[in-house]
Amino acid sequence: MDDIEGKIVRNDNIVSNYYLLKMKLSKPMGIVKPGQFVMLKIPDNEVFLRRPFSIYACSRDLLTIMYRVVGRGTAYLSKIKKKENTFVLGPLGNGFHLKEKGNHVIVAGGIGIAGVHSLIGKLRGKASVFYGCSGRDEVALVGDIANLDPRISTIDGSYGFKGNVVALLAKHLKSIRRNNVEIFACGPENMLKSLKKLINKDKIPCQVLVEERMACGLGLCFGCVRKTVDEKEPYKRACREGPVFNLWEICL
Amino acid sequence: MGNLSLKLFGKTLKNPVMNASGTLGYGREIEPLWGVERLGAYVTKGLSLKPHHGNPTPRVWEERCGMINSIGLQNIGIERFFDEHFPFFRQKKTPIIVNFFGFTEDEYIACAERIKPHRLIIALEMNLSCPNVKKGGISFGKEASTVYNIVKHVKRVTKIPLLAKLTPEVKNIVEIAQAAYEAGIDGLTLLNTIPAVVIDTEKKNVAIKGGLSGPLLKPIALKAVHEISKTIPVPVIGTGGIMNHMDAIAFLMAGAKAIQVGTATFVDPYTIPKIIEGISEYLDVHGYPKIEDIIGIAHG
Ligand SMILES: Cc1cc2nc3c(=O)[nH]c(=O)nc-3n(C[C@H](O)[C@H](O)[C@H](O)COP(=O)(O)OP(=O)(O)OC[C@H]3O[C@@H](n4cnc5c(N)ncnc54)[C@H](O)[C@@H]3O)c2cc1C
Ligand SMILES: Cc1cc2nc3c(=O)[nH]c(=O)nc-3n(C[C@H](O)[C@H](O)[C@H](O)COP(=O)(O)O)c2cc1C
Ligand code: FES
Repeated sequence: MDDIEGKIVRNDNIVSNYYLLKMKLSKPMGIVKPGQFVMLKIPDNEVFLRRPFSIYACSRDLLTIMYRVVGRGTAYLSKIKKKENTFVLGPLGNGFHLKEKGNHVIVAGGIGIAGVHSLIGKLRGKASVFYGCSGRDEVALVGDIANLDPRISTIDGSYGFKGNVVALLAKHLKSIRRNNVEIFACGPENMLKSLKKLINKDKIPCQVLVEERMACGLGLCFGCVRKTVDEKEPYKRACREGPVFNLWEICL
Repeated sequence: MGNLSLKLFGKTLKNPVMNASGTLGYGREIEPLWGVERLGAYVTKGLSLKPHHGNPTPRVWEERCGMINSIGLQNIGIERFFDEHFPFFRQKKTPIIVNFFGFTEDEYIACAERIKPHRLIIALEMNLSCPNVKKGGISFGKEASTVYNIVKHVKRVTKIPLLAKLTPEVKNIVEIAQAAYEAGIDGLTLLNTIPAVVIDTEKKNVAIKGGLSGPLLKPIALKAVHEISKTIPVPVIGTGGIMNHMDAIAFLMAGAKAIQVGTATFVDPYTIPKIIEGISEYLDVHGYPKIEDIIGIAHG
């Protein structure tokens, strides 16, 4: 892990307010686990702290993140031109824990696809992928995952199943072999909540990637905690003990 | 090469740069980037008698010129710190300053009693920004008489040099420092964060209430360091908004014997090693053989 200089080689608008940012790093990032993230320096004086983004893809000295414009930092980011330089600190966090064998089910909503993209890549078609977004346009966010035949839902019903991704998963849950099944999820808090409700009876093993406001990303400040069911130490750092948590151990 | 080493409470520190309490985890977290042995001394996260869970989220918020935190002093407690983490500093021979707090005077006293002298413990640093639950939650550091009493009583139970870390939210900080001095304090750390709030204009409520740190604090902390180091004859450690080596040098010139870097580490995790190198270069370029040559030179 290190703080590495990166030159922006691509910063493309995919659809509406979603972008793909590719950087050439001054040195390789080292081994990256799916679910890990970076703290990106926004090269603007008005933006004080760094911003956490999942590692969408990383090979040697090329790092890609996918982001959605939501506020000051990401708005500035979307205007950055090619060849500008910035810094990325990473890889950070624990990442998903993968067992050798198993029946992997991946559930993502909206920009949550960015958090599981490299996991899907690593599992190379051996996972069932469920993706939910608001409408047909955003289906473009599945990008190169499209050829893995993901099951897709849209809120407005303009593409695939009409409804949210958890409702779509519910429809297929019975047909998914229960043997050794494990769910990996990333998406809005409400998606994680309804996912928990859906699988609560069977307590299917499930790892979720959560978002918390961060200052350091390194475990230094204790600002990014997630409440857990551990009574002795209820607050765990999303940047260090997370951002991937066992669904059954955190409070949602 | 300019000599950065200095003596603090009779012990030698390799340089005047420390982390500010609560901004470098338990010390190990920064290992992948640089090691705590680079520091003049490591300042612990605020420790209490018993483990403390801290506040619900949101705990951090960005402001244009700094950040607001409401960590709520989450920590594993003094006992676990010494069992689980102190051996790490012992192995690295890194001096430490133990920052501690309580919600009653008795808790401060019990904390200080618990910490046994050790050659690597340079000082105890009492965080006086904590709310006093017996006084309706007003912080200990607000009244000169409260400060006098608590310093007096804590001094009685420990042989380790005692630093008081003051809050800026007071009428006259020199008066507070004077009260601590009269009660026998060995040194002062200036300053802690400034109480602040953020309003969420969309939700029309208070988004976070906490302590403001970062660049905005610097001129305020500099004034406190300048005035207090001039009038009160104990070592002063300066902290607040130090982002680079020139900020650090300003504090040293204002009269601080050592400085602490907090929020800047979140912006650039290499800030501390860069400041150490920057100060050393500054001494060379300006022909000062030792760090002591610039301490307090802005007193006039
Ligand atoms: C581990 C992790 C991975 C993430 N991965 C991605 C990703 O791959 N793609 C993506 O688009 N977004 C991701 N996010 C969310 C992303 O960090 C925020 O959208 C971003 O920080 C917003 O910055 P802003 O300046 O535009 O928003 P502002 O609201 O102006 O930011 C103000 C402050 O709030 C924080 N903040 C605001 N929203 C969030 C949020 N949802 N989560 C955490 N902090 C927030 C910011 O970091 C900043 O400190 C991730 C968050 C975490 C914690
Ligand atoms: C996240 C965070 C946690 C902190 N925790 C403590 C603490 O436990 N005890 C304490 O005395 N001060 C604490 N502080 C205050 C700092 O030690 C320091 O006094 C203050 O942040 C000003 O310095 P800075 O502007 O360099 O950050 C904390 C500050 C931050 C930002
Ligand atoms: S962001 Fe600082 S501890 Fe996680």
